[in-house]
Amino acid sequence: MTQTLLEFRNIVKRFGGVTALDDFSMRLGRAEILGLIGPNGSGKTTSFNVLTGIYPATAGQVLFDGQDITNAAARAVYEAGIVRTFQRSRLCLPLSIYDNIMIGDTARLTGSLWSNLISRKRLHGQIDASYRLARDLVGSFSGHLADRMDQPVGALPMIERRRIEICRALISGPRLLLLDEPSAGMTHDETHQLMDDILAVRARGAGLSIIIVEHEMGVIERITDRCIVLSYGRKIAEGTYAEVAADAEVQNAYLGAD
Amino acid sequence: MTDLPISSPASAARPWAAGAAVIVAAGVYAWALLMAEETWQVTGLLALAVAAVLAALKTGFARRLHQDWSASETRLNRLAFATLIVLIFVLSDAHFALLMVATTLLYFTASMGLNIQFGFAGMANFAGAAFFGAGAYTAAVLGTVTAVPPLLTLALGGGVALVLSLPLLLPIVRTTGHYAAVVTIAFGVLFRTFLEVNEILGGPQGLMVAPMRLFGWDFNSAPVIGGYEMSFYVNYALLAAALAGLVFMLMRRLERSWIGLHMDAVRLDETAAACFGISVTRTKVTAFLMGNAILGVSGALYGMMISFIAPASFTFSDSLLMVSIVLLGGLGSLWGGAVAAAIVVLLPEKLQLLQEYRFLLFSILVILVLLFRPDGILPRPMRSFFASRRAGK
Amino acid sequence: MDFGLIAQYLANGILLGTMYALVAVGFTLFFGVLDVIKFSHGDVLMLGTFIGFTAWLGLEAIGVANPWVQLLGVLICSLGGTALIGAAIAKWLVLPLKKAPQLNTLLITLMLGTAIREAVRLFYPNGSNPKAFPALLPDAAVELGSFSLRADSVILVLAGLGLIGLLNLVINRTRLGLAIRAVAQDEETARIMGINYTLVVLATFAIGSGVAAFAGIMNGLYYNEINFGMGLILGLIGFSAAIIGGLGNLYGAILGGFLFAGLQVIGAALLPFASAYKDVFAFAVVIALMAWKPTGLIPERSSDRV
Repeated sequence: MTQTLLEFRNIVKRFGGVTALDDFSMRLGRAEILGLIGPNGSGKTTSFNVLTGIYPATAGQVLFDGQDITNAAARAVYEAGIVRTFQRSRLCLPLSIYDNIMIGDTARLTGSLWSNLISRKRLHGQIDASYRLARDLVGSFSGHLADRMDQPVGALPMIERRRIEICRALISGPRLLLLDEPSAGMTHDETHQLMDDILAVRARGAGLSIIIVEHEMGVIERITDRCIVLSYGRKIAEGTYAEVAADAEVQNAYLGAD
Repeated sequence: MTDLPISSPASAARPWAAGAAVIVAAGVYAWALLMAEETWQVTGLLALAVAAVLAALKTGFARRLHQDWSASETRLNRLAFATLIVLIFVLSDAHFALLMVATTLLYFTASMGLNIQFGFAGMANFAGAAFFGAGAYTAAVLGTVTAVPPLLTLALGGGVALVLSLPLLLPIVRTTGHYAAVVTIAFGVLFRTFLEVNEILGGPQGLMVAPMRLFGWDFNSAPVIGGYEMSFYVNYALLAAALAGLVFMLMRRLERSWIGLHMDAVRLDETAAACFGISVTRTKVTAFLMGNAILGVSGALYGMMISFIAPASFTFSDSLLMVSIVLLGGLGSLWGGAVAAAIVVLLPEKLQLLQEYRFLLFSILVILVLLFRPDGILPRPMRSFFASRRAGK
Repeated sequence: MDFGLIAQYLANGILLGTMYALVAVGFTLFFGVLDVIKFSHGDVLMLGTFIGFTAWLGLEAIGVANPWVQLLGVLICSLGGTALIGAAIAKWLVLPLKKAPQLNTLLITLMLGTAIREAVRLFYPNGSNPKAFPALLPDAAVELGSFSLRADSVILVLAGLGLIGLLNLVINRTRLGLAIRAVAQDEETARIMGINYTLVVLATFAIGSGVAAFAGIMNGLYYNEINFGMGLILGLIGFSAAIIGGLGNLYGAILGGFLFAGLQVIGAALLPFASAYKDVFAFAVVIALMAWKPTGLIPERSSDRV
């Protein structure tokens, strides 16, 4: 395997009596695309939440680029270069497309009260530059969205919202992108279109890694380098899509046969 | 000046004419309302306002107005300010009317402070009157110390409100929603009870407040221009206008800054905001302190103006009245706040029979607004990072 | 400090604690089934007390003089009327706003509280002045040294604790209680299991409001005075108590109620030179507790689903 970017070491996450992640270990290489699959409630989203600092892990360790980021605050995780999308879209619906994308770029776009309120030359420079950047990024997903940067996100259909959500995640030039069921609420074709767009953006930059949680197996098959299958919080298989799809235990987990 | 392809609203020939007309009309209307003495005059004027609003909505004039405002915002805001100053001078010797204007402006300013919290950062603060009162009491206490220049007293009013906010920061930041609400409600009641039992601060009887003085000019003496003597309230109205204008500008800048954007993000989705590196704590602390400081400053000037303050003016009901302004105007909406402040302050004063019923009236009004028009009278417009710059600023 | 004084403080604290717990229980019940704070609770309580007072005036007018009969009439009218009002508020103001932001519900009920308070002040005959509430309970007292134990206090505390016990039984042992707990646990599943959701919510609000009205009558009987503002402070105290106990938890509310009463009594005992500061002290401690345990002493379950 290529050089490791992210590593889970024996992660355990319990909610009360329920064990959502049970001794889960995995590695992700640089520039790798990893699929995380498994039936509902198998711990896929929980592993994202543990990784991004939303839930603390009960036990275990998370290493990112050699650094221990176990239970780091959400903000520190972002600053390390990990961004995500959410299963149920969590955009700020009343805000404009531009505003939403800028929320993803806080590492660059903050500043003191002074530079925000009093002497605003630098702020104006940032607005101009970031507007161009955001517009280009949105344009690579959808040309007509790029002309509607000041429109509220709430008025957009689901697929457009997904695109904006992904742009919000990508604008800061992250090293690891976590996609949580990007196909939810979209048609087959729309999903494929979206994946192609993501891959195109990825191809332009240097070595973005992706972990994708997905039910749509066509997507997984097409874009992932490798897959991990979770069932009841445990890793039951790992390998290329073809390998895990052929695995007897995986088929059992999905079909519920015993 | 900017070459960015920003979609601009359909550019009418004079993309400010409708706005300018409305501002001037509003100025004349305000004058008429303030000078009206008979109940039938006031009710007639109110009916006229309702009819005008309905007509504007029906004919599409409201949309035109909206376009004007986004196209020539800075220009129109300046015109509105100038109209306000003219109004104050036109009223020149109308004691009571000027007091109303200044009170409205100070309540408006205070509501802008609350708006940072409620409207931008989505934090509940039900102790608005307490922080307002903290400013007023600071003015009262410092007024007895002649060494402190009154302008500094204004700033210190904000400072004291800010210091009082500090012990609340930890519980406010660590909690959300109803938990944070109870902290501020408890503080508001605590503050008022404290004032009532504290003899040094005058107990239930309250304190006298020394007047404002600026460059040796006593604000309680009547200004004379060209042999014409005006009400001393002109002083206060002008200073209140300046303060409101300053805070208004600050709010506009806050809204169009990263800090304002982060406040929106925290209000709409704290978890997502944190996942994109926004410090929820820092954002909330900023909103809470900034808002309370503004409340304190406006309270200090209010205290100087009415020259006598008592705990009964800073009750929980008064806090709710301030919150009502924010909600009626529309969360985060600055102009909405201005209109709502005028309604909340002027209506009970002009219709004396409503005076007694004002808390009842406004509480029902707020319930109706929350049920049927949750965005308020003038909903907050979309943020435009570019608007102020298009005007060449 | 002598024994008598301590006993007096203790007796007072128990009475206040019972009263506060009765109010806090309502907040916690509403929060349990609907995840909302109904801040008008205190003012509904005040309205209920006024209903009871009006019933007493009516009974006097028609010549019913026996205090026990009067008490029964007052309680039936007050508790029943308040339960109806509570259910009506739930139906027309709280349920329609279920999907709205939490802050909106809080604001609406705050404003509703103000409206009720002002309406009583303005429209109840001579409503802005305190009313002398009749002493319907026997006023005999047992003297134990410097400590005098009043019969009415004992009856009030016993009745209040009895009501809390009864409520606990209803919640834990009856079908209605089971339905309430099911809805509090998971609304969707409860609906699927065939529970009439709206009915459960209305019943909960009726029960919570009726229990609070009892606290109001208790307050009236003990202090022999009621006024339009009594609900604001009682509501705030009940709210604080429910919150420091931990919302959505019956025992937390009871704990919080007694804790708050304890704070007031300690405040009054420790600051005898300035007993007026007892509320300042109690609320300051509430704020400090919130900083220390932001979700209460018995924490609420976490609800942010990602």
